[in-house]
Amino acid sequence: MNYEVTISNRDNATYWVSNRRPLLDSLIDQGVDLPYGCKYGGCITCAAKLTTGNVDQRRQVALNNRQINEGYVILCVARAKSDITLEIGVESHGSLYRNPFIDPLQPHELKADIATVKDI
Amino acid sequence: MSVCCGPGYSSPAEAIQAPREKLLYTIAIYTGTGIQKPDYLATVDVDPSSPTFSKVIHRLEMPGIGDELHHMGWNACSSCHDDSSMARKYLLLPGVRSNNIHIVDTATDPRAPRIHKVVKGSDIKAKTNLSGPHTVHCLGSEIIISMLGDAKGEAPGGYLELNKDFEIMGRWENSMGNIKFGYDFWYQPRHNVMVSSEWAAPNTFMPGFDLEEVGHLKYGREIHFWDFEKKEPIETMYLGEDGLLPLEVKFHHNPDSTHGFCGAALSSNVIHWWKDDGGKWQWEKIIDVANEPHPEWPIPVPGVMSAILVSMDDKYLYLNNWLHGDMRQYDISDPHNPVLTGQIWMGGLLGKAPEVNGVKMAGGPQMFQLSLDGKRLYVTTSLFSTWDNQFYPEIRDQGGVMVMIDCDPENGGMKLNSDFIVNFGKEPNGPSRCHEARYPGGDCTSDIWL
Repeated sequence: MNYEVTISNRDNATYWVSNRRPLLDSLIDQGVDLPYGCKYGGCITCAAKLTTGNVDQRRQVALNNRQINEGYVILCVARAKSDITLEIGVESHGSLYRNPFIDPLQPHELKADIATVKDI
Repeated sequence: MSVCCGPGYSSPAEAIQAPREKLLYTIAIYTGTGIQKPDYLATVDVDPSSPTFSKVIHRLEMPGIGDELHHMGWNACSSCHDDSSMARKYLLLPGVRSNNIHIVDTATDPRAPRIHKVVKGSDIKAKTNLSGPHTVHCLGSEIIISMLGDAKGEAPGGYLELNKDFEIMGRWENSMGNIKFGYDFWYQPRHNVMVSSEWAAPNTFMPGFDLEEVGHLKYGREIHFWDFEKKEPIETMYLGEDGLLPLEVKFHHNPDSTHGFCGAALSSNVIHWWKDDGGKWQWEKIIDVANEPHPEWPIPVPGVMSAILVSMDDKYLYLNNWLHGDMRQYDISDPHNPVLTGQIWMGGLLGKAPEVNGVKMAGGPQMFQLSLDGKRLYVTTSLFSTWDNQFYPEIRDQGGVMVMIDCDPENGGMKLNSDFIVNFGKEPNGPSRCHEARYPGGDCTSDIWL
């Protein structure tokens, strides 16, 4: 399946990507200048913000649940599951980084392997 | 003096007598900064009689983006001093994120180093199942690199061995025993011992620091003693709350000494170890930097002692408090009873020195390298891109800084040098961040004597 990716902070440029390849590879091949580091979903350097649509990023191990809830996706392993809109680069990293002492995580906001279910 | 013609020096005492350093290499990163350029190796002119003193005089870009250059190491050091076939010619620059190891020729033209070879990260993963290269040491003609994770970024990783031609020989260690994490290591061959420390799994520390993950035991609190010849760990010291994030480990340079030190970054303590008269390894906490109150923080600010260094004469230990903003010098003539002999403020969150030599500081003192004679300490301000972004977000626009501190090796004491500052915020491609530094003739964090 192919889906359309819109990059909202690059004049809404659009690209077609396959759901079988990581977004980072597909977009770089089409000339989008994107940051990256480890290329296995572990280091957060390539994080972007998903504002509409869905991706499969089960292979990522870098994001905690708060970052996921804020829409961050790890482009080096994420694949499109629908048409999507992304904000890319460090301009999208506003809430990605936080001072862990001033603004600690709640137990349900930790990474998936240590998070607890939120009390309702 | 030695009659040998191999690299380095016959002894620490001879190293102290070496000519003054004229060039210094530091890595500078764009990874994680928003600037889509490769990380690079900067050559800094540190010769006060030169017209380009205190300036970056050459920049060697890596072949691609996203490496996150961090620490470096030489292909050969004083451990090869009696081997005339070896030379200190190549600097190894691992990329923590990319896994690539760049071999840089610094000898052909020391002012303008060039890439000799790249050991590809994908090859290292395929052949050894390791990732996250950190500390580089040589042992004779072998090179050992601590790798903090497996190919998927899970701890504990292991040790990569390269031969003198930089070919992948495989895993150095025979066993990781019960070690949970890797980070730094140092060895003392006359005592058949290596000591290793613990940061965290790459997929834990690379995305940034979460305090809660310390409580979930995702970060280290142990140091490990190895049988160096058998290449396996034999004893673990559980440091507990006194040793959270035990990062840098240094033995005395004196190859007969069993004394060594570890800086526990989050606890902001220095741990001292030694072998007692009964042949048993002992440890104790010898320096405890108290957390400091901050008007905007709900809890006091820890120092975050991310690096330590022992002078070539084994008389002084230097440490940083990256969040507080101070560099300290301790007289460790009696390693059980260190005496604070110098302190310099530069940057940091406590607001004690927001500006140094006219440059506004982002970050605090982080990595440092001491001259062989113990008189000049070069200090940089960036820790790691993602951690910088959390604690000092302004570093994105301001970049890193290198300062020089004049040190008194006779009587103790430190003084900021007012003639030297390198502002990496003004680099041609935009603000970059400098980290570890080394000199062509060897330095205080590389050479080991057999």
